[in-house]
Amino acid sequence: MNELSLGPIGSASLLLALAFSVWSLIAAWVGAVRRDAGLLTSSRLAGVATFLAMSVAVAVMEIALLTDDFSVSYVAETSRAANPVWVKMVTLWAALEGSLILWGWLLSGYWALLALRAPNTPLRPWALAVMASVQTFFVLVPAVIAPPFEVMNPVPADGPGPNPLLQNHWMMAVHPFLMYLGFVGLTVPFAYAMAALITRRPGSEWMLQTRRWTLIGWGFLTAAIVTGGWWSYEVLGWGGYWAWDPVENVSFIPWLTATAFIHSVQVQQRRHMLKAWNLALIILTFSMTLLGTFLTRSGVVSSVHAFGDGPVGPAFLAFFVVVTVISLGLMAWRWDQVRDRADLDHPVSREGTFLAGNVLFLAIAFAVLLGTLFPLIVEAFTGDKVTVGAPFFDAATLPLWMGVLGLMGIGPLLPWRRARWQTLRSNLTWMTGVGVAFAVVAAALGMRGTYPLLTVGLIGWNLASFALLLTAAVVPRVRVGTRSVVQVIGDYAFENRRRFGSMIVHLGVVVMAAGILGSSGYRVDEQVRIEMGETHAFRDLEFTALNTFVEQTEYRIGAGATVRVERDGEVLGTLRPKINSFFGQSMDVPTPDVLYLPLYDVYLNVGAGVREGQDFVILRVVRSPLISWIWVGGVVMALGTAYALTPSRRRERETLSAPEGSQTA
Amino acid sequence: MKRLIYGLLGVGVLAASGFLIQRALSDGLVYFVLPSEYAAEPEQYEDRRIRLGGIVERGSIDFDDRELQLAFQVTDSLETYPVRHRGTPPELFQENTGVVVEGRFEDGVFVSDNLLVKHSEVYEAPAEGQHIDLEELKDTLQ
Repeated sequence: MNELSLGPIGSASLLLALAFSVWSLIAAWVGAVRRDAGLLTSSRLAGVATFLAMSVAVAVMEIALLTDDFSVSYVAETSRAANPVWVKMVTLWAALEGSLILWGWLLSGYWALLALRAPNTPLRPWALAVMASVQTFFVLVPAVIAPPFEVMNPVPADGPGPNPLLQNHWMMAVHPFLMYLGFVGLTVPFAYAMAALITRRPGSEWMLQTRRWTLIGWGFLTAAIVTGGWWSYEVLGWGGYWAWDPVENVSFIPWLTATAFIHSVQVQQRRHMLKAWNLALIILTFSMTLLGTFLTRSGVVSSVHAFGDGPVGPAFLAFFVVVTVISLGLMAWRWDQVRDRADLDHPVSREGTFLAGNVLFLAIAFAVLLGTLFPLIVEAFTGDKVTVGAPFFDAATLPLWMGVLGLMGIGPLLPWRRARWQTLRSNLTWMTGVGVAFAVVAAALGMRGTYPLLTVGLIGWNLASFALLLTAAVVPRVRVGTRSVVQVIGDYAFENRRRFGSMIVHLGVVVMAAGILGSSGYRVDEQVRIEMGETHAFRDLEFTALNTFVEQTEYRIGAGATVRVERDGEVLGTLRPKINSFFGQSMDVPTPDVLYLPLYDVYLNVGAGVREGQDFVILRVVRSPLISWIWVGGVVMALGTAYALTPSRRRERETLSAPEGSQTA
Repeated sequence: MKRLIYGLLGVGVLAASGFLIQRALSDGLVYFVLPSEYAAEPEQYEDRRIRLGGIVERGSIDFDDRELQLAFQVTDSLETYPVRHRGTPPELFQENTGVVVEGRFEDGVFVSDNLLVKHSEVYEAPAEGQHIDLEELKDTLQ
């Protein structure tokens, strides 16, 4: 094209990143084996250099996207000159090759941060060596296997633009980013776990050094899954948020294992048990992110998000196999060090409930994985094509979720080692009482069915648990001192960041459970036809079709209808559902409009294309009770995680624990 | 002794979840079939939710835009079945295009509650009088 072409610069920076990464990998392993401080420093610097080179690659791709440089293959295949600036920016992760650069870049960022900031412990050299190895794979993929900077010849005048579903909502700018931050964040505890195995130090050290990384990774993954659900709700047009689609499932499985992990590490920190279990969980979490990427990036499972086939899938499969075999093999080799010597004192204890919760989370993860893989298994053995739908996932996981909610209420109230029966009995009485009261009220209001009533009861059970937790923490302090209740709660929250943060997260889960119950059990979903200017009654609502409209921008045409929503003569809002057609794309994208209300959402989607001058409109109307509570619950969970991450004065004291093998007092 | 009890408890929990999963799978599995495959052994799919895939027969589309009822015929060139779908046709729905409908047969009519258009560049409709490659069709639709 001209003297300064972006494609070769991008390719060169990826290859440079690969070279730095490979050098860092070699220097780290050799340096760690020989305890050569010079090599280790060189390796860490090469890690930082990898990050810088990856940053250049990302910057070059962004420049290419923003300047419509269609000589770059990725831009030619996924961007479009007329698109708005924000769409061009997020096009970086709208297709496979670009999203892999983003993944590699974020990973190198965490790695560089770790190389610069991680305290110099016996684990660090090995953890960085593992990070370097993982990083090398994630640079190798964009640099060699799926190169995005190929030079196009001839240079096309324009491209098709990204998948219209992705252009249609700003959340696409946020959700994949959060997802990768989550996946990448959980690589850090994995690397330290491997380091702990290599150095034969499987104690609590590795998890204490990665506690913040784990929480950050888990928090981002949680936020990613919730924002992904909200994106589907706003974009996909059926009024739901979770379809048990393979791509959703494979992001959910690592979340489940990571959730089990952040609970069970506390057992090891306090009680020196579950060493092998914790190592296995973090290995599983990391390998599941790789397996998920393989499944969804290879076209093996059909999915709305599938990126189609190519060499990337097999590469991830190979890496998944290598990682799983090496890490589990290493664990088997170190079995003598990792097996537990201490025993559970009593099942009715904090650690007992954590363990039970772990089993439930793993069972859910297994069910979800099985449901996702089952079509492949059946086709391999019988040749039949089957799908495993939502009924399977609901039936298999709902009872387990009930168990999780039950344990979530009781676990934090139990002391470590062994519960005192009297306290336990009084707590259980309160919680059961409130739970039953909730269920009875729900039944009186007309709610039927085992699971809905059980869920309501468990919500009450958990709310009672929060009250008891706060009372137990606050009442003695109020009695002793002269401060007011509000002050005491404030001090308690300030001094116990982890505990209070976890309470907030659990509260978010309760809010979300209410949202899931309301929106899946009591949604109304109908298609209606409304003549222009007329009013259609729908349950307690009235819809008036005001007009149809066609609006055009440089990059899309939207055609829809304006509908006024009223209840008892009071106007609740005006909605404008439409269908967007993006130029350059054959697929039209329904663009629902949602009226968010505290007790239920009104969700309108244009059912059939609106033509010019049409005197009626066909709408899909979904009324979902409490659905916005799911998003609120997600925000609460994220805030709770952030709160638990704020530095606390008590951190040092909390990490102190009983010596290994000690018995109950 | 303690370990044995916990081990047994663990096995019990695993067995219970295995049972749940097994039961859920037998209810939640949805087979994907072509019309001719269904015709070969309809009793196997009796009272079962299935996904039926095929091509929308030419001239068979009838959409009632007052009652919002869509009726059409789905075919794989060997067998043809009528389909009734409550709701409006999706944007890309048209004659001779690949579709997958999900639902069950009621008195010889397939009653669908989920209609997916499988618009694929790979698949090409055969010329008059020619048979479709069923394997290819199935792969394209899946």
